[in-house]
Amino acid sequence: MSREIVKEEAPPFSCVVSAENRGLASLRSVRWRLNLGILPPSPSVDDLRRVTADSRRRYAGLRRQLLVDPHVAKHGGSNSPDLVMDNPLSQNPDSTWGRFFRNAELEKMVSQDLSRLYPELGSYFQAPGCQGMLRRILLLWCLKHPESGYRQGMHELLAPLLYILHVDVERLSEVRKIHEDHFIDKFDGLSFEENDVTYSFDFKKVLDSMEDEVGSQGNSKKVRSLDELDPEIQTIILLTDAYGAEGELGIVLSEKFMEHDAYCMFEALMSGAGGSVAMADFFSPIPAAESQSGLPPVIEASVALYHLLSIVDSSLHSHLVELGVEPQYFALRWLRVLFGREFSLHDLLVVWDEILTADNSPLHKDSGNEESSCFNLLNSHRGALIAAMAVSMILYVRSSLFATENATTCLRRLLNFPENINLKKLVAKAKSLQILALNSKLSSSSFTFDVAYNRSKSAVSGHNPSPGPVSPTTPLSLVPDSYWEEKWRVLHKAEELRQDSLDKQAPSGKRRWSDKVKLVLSRTESDPSPARAEKYKKGHRSSVRRSLLEDLSRHLGWKEDTETGDCFDTSNLEDRQSIEVQVEGQNETSIDSICTAEERCDSGSGTSVSEENSSVFSDPASSGSSTTNDHENDTEKSSVASNLSSDEIDDRHLNNPEDSPLPVSSPPEDVLLNYPHENESSGKMVSALKQKRHLSGRFQWLLKLGRNNVSQEASDKGVITESAKSANRDSKSNTADSSTAGSPSNSSPTIQRDVVDQNVMGTLKNLGQSMLEHIQVLESVFQQDRVQVGSLDNSAKNNLVGKGQVTAMTALKELRKISNLLLEM
Amino acid sequence: MLVPGKIQHIICTGNLCIKEVQDYLKTLCPDLHITRGEYDEETRYPETKTLTIGQFKLGLCHGHQVIPWGDLDSLAMLQRQLDVDILVTGHTHQFTAYKHEGGVVINPGSATGAYSSITYDVNPSFVLMDIDGLRVVVYVYELIDGEVKVDKIDFKKTTTATHSAH
Repeated sequence: MSREIVKEEAPPFSCVVSAENRGLASLRSVRWRLNLGILPPSPSVDDLRRVTADSRRRYAGLRRQLLVDPHVAKHGGSNSPDLVMDNPLSQNPDSTWGRFFRNAELEKMVSQDLSRLYPELGSYFQAPGCQGMLRRILLLWCLKHPESGYRQGMHELLAPLLYILHVDVERLSEVRKIHEDHFIDKFDGLSFEENDVTYSFDFKKVLDSMEDEVGSQGNSKKVRSLDELDPEIQTIILLTDAYGAEGELGIVLSEKFMEHDAYCMFEALMSGAGGSVAMADFFSPIPAAESQSGLPPVIEASVALYHLLSIVDSSLHSHLVELGVEPQYFALRWLRVLFGREFSLHDLLVVWDEILTADNSPLHKDSGNEESSCFNLLNSHRGALIAAMAVSMILYVRSSLFATENATTCLRRLLNFPENINLKKLVAKAKSLQILALNSKLSSSSFTFDVAYNRSKSAVSGHNPSPGPVSPTTPLSLVPDSYWEEKWRVLHKAEELRQDSLDKQAPSGKRRWSDKVKLVLSRTESDPSPARAEKYKKGHRSSVRRSLLEDLSRHLGWKEDTETGDCFDTSNLEDRQSIEVQVEGQNETSIDSICTAEERCDSGSGTSVSEENSSVFSDPASSGSSTTNDHENDTEKSSVASNLSSDEIDDRHLNNPEDSPLPVSSPPEDVLLNYPHENESSGKMVSALKQKRHLSGRFQWLLKLGRNNVSQEASDKGVITESAKSANRDSKSNTADSSTAGSPSNSSPTIQRDVVDQNVMGTLKNLGQSMLEHIQVLESVFQQDRVQVGSLDNSAKNNLVGKGQVTAMTALKELRKISNLLLEM
Repeated sequence: MLVPGKIQHIICTGNLCIKEVQDYLKTLCPDLHITRGEYDEETRYPETKTLTIGQFKLGLCHGHQVIPWGDLDSLAMLQRQLDVDILVTGHTHQFTAYKHEGGVVINPGSATGAYSSITYDVNPSFVLMDIDGLRVVVYVYELIDGEVKVDKIDFKKTTTATHSAH
């Protein structure tokens, strides 16, 4: 409870207790009544009781008035009712019979729904008493609000309210049993004096005497013992004391008046109690009066939901929009029943706790401020939390949504929300998104995708860094965020190691470079032979789908081949071998999984692969690279952390599209964007392997760094893959870099060929220059990212979180260094 | 006033004479019970009929078989014979309703106000019974001088059925 009230010394029976000490935390029904505005936020128990009593009286009156039984003779009213009007066949709309028949129709509709209410908790909800109460409440509400009538779903809103009342009443009876003394007036235990006349019986004396005994119930004793009790029990007792304000009608937790209380809560929920979010609006087909969009409220709310989703995770949003999954298909049910059909009852109570705690008052904005939210839903804390909850649920299943290209499957996933969920995470995410939603509404002016929308995006992205770690990446992803940070650190270490090794092996490194350049040049010189073309194709396809193990095996195979050639230093070979051994050791077990993952990725990545293939052919050098190198490096690290390989596979995967991107710009990036998601779902190993194929060894580690970061953010991938690609291109010569044991089979034949040294230097310089250019491009893209809209790749990049951008920038810096090195050569 | 959907059973004493009238009654309600009157062309109607609605047993007969026509005691004999709580008969074209010996004998009169050989003044009338548990409310609709007049009678069934409860 948010109210703070100082605990005072308690005069008997009207204790003023602090909200926190009140221990109302466990009494959901009272808490919700306070949240819904039925009970006043007043510290005094008496006030609560009075308000409760009033609301119950109102309901009883309503019931008497509206629930017409024409059979019951009207006593006191008209003695001789006008039978001409009041007979059962009367067509007169005012006749009681007419009303009776209309009520009967309504009741039929309600009963139909009620019979299907919560069958899994049928012992409570399908009991006739409970059903009768629900039916009456719904009937009366609908009769009181004829403009909305009864719609399916209202019963689902009502059921939890009745349930919590029931739970609290049960709690009360438990307390009663334990603390019987405070509830009952026991007179029969008293001993009578000699004259045995009740009138002159001196109660006080007896009570005083009883005080000495244990367990007396004198009034003074009562106060004392009340204070001794738990504040919670205290509250319960005070709220349910039959002698308190308003007597029995004022007993706040009363079984007799469950129906009345449930009706009050239901009415407050539906009407919004003067707040912004009124559930009844969601059932109405008419646009709200002040709606800017002219849509029915629930449609408008669904749009608001998608708007929030697009801010948070625009790739998922665009994916859903592409598939044609309109928000109202699933949001209608979610909103109308406040997620009642998506969670089990107990989970739902937790969710409703959060939603109801949120303030429902409409957030006023300056009338002069143009940028007021056009979404009524986002106009209050509660509404924003509802929207945020929905978006968080969508994000929870995002991997399965991305995995399918079929709208029906998406809808099926959304409409059959998974059973075993981490509710706390879901709610925590929703809360963080709520802040985002409230902020975004300030900047979202119009509803259409125009400059205003871009502005909103840019404004929102400014907010992104703060909730960075939580949003856009799904916090509910399989891998915790800390995992990626660890990877980063590991990679950094590896990078340093590599740099050291490079420095040490500078001369040999040069030679390696020359070897690689030879390799590259040999490739460039000769047309790709069919065999090589096949290998390329295979490589690329495998780059898209091949497993680490395959790479390794090729490595080994190639290595054996190269032993004959003089391209490689033995030291290199040894390095590679050692690395490979390590890798092999680790990866042997995972071959199968990788292979299967590959296949899956294969199916998903057909188009991208072909694009990559084409681009690869155009840039053979870039392809040649270092996926193997990367592989080695990755495997090294995998020795450090076995998970690393999967991480790297992700990176690889990210880098794979690099090859295609520059010539083929946006589509691959889209596919790219899909990749990370696919990876998450279907084996990161595979994707990473794909990427490996394409990367040059020299920039392996850089790319890995970049990739690691990129794997976290989809947009980063596009950027970094580009940079990596340019790096790859530039580092064709560097592919001969020692780090990799050997590029995939594609490179193996080329490495074995001789390369002309002259060309090597020239190539190196050219590579360095092009690398720089690419880096510049990437940086400019980064800058643009924040502002651009429209193209999918950009919008995907807009997913950038600060973290991703930071990592991407660091990666770019690394690339700069490398390019400088190249130029120096 | 007689709209389809509001009435669940139709009990007709007879003398519909032609099939069209039966069809019309069927449009009001599918559950139709008819006994044979002396002018009915449809020969397959029974002479008497008993049915149970709710807690009440109803008996149906045209009444021309019971002599003297419209005599309460004779009708009571028929009621005992059929062992019903409510006996519905016709033929007299006059509305009457008696509470007798724990049962009710109702004559709804003529729905069309057809000519009767025993009375001069025939007002079209019919009876609507609202059976609710152990209680039946009888609404009588009569067309008098161009206006529909409604009257009602309450009847509660007792388990012993030795005396009327109202």
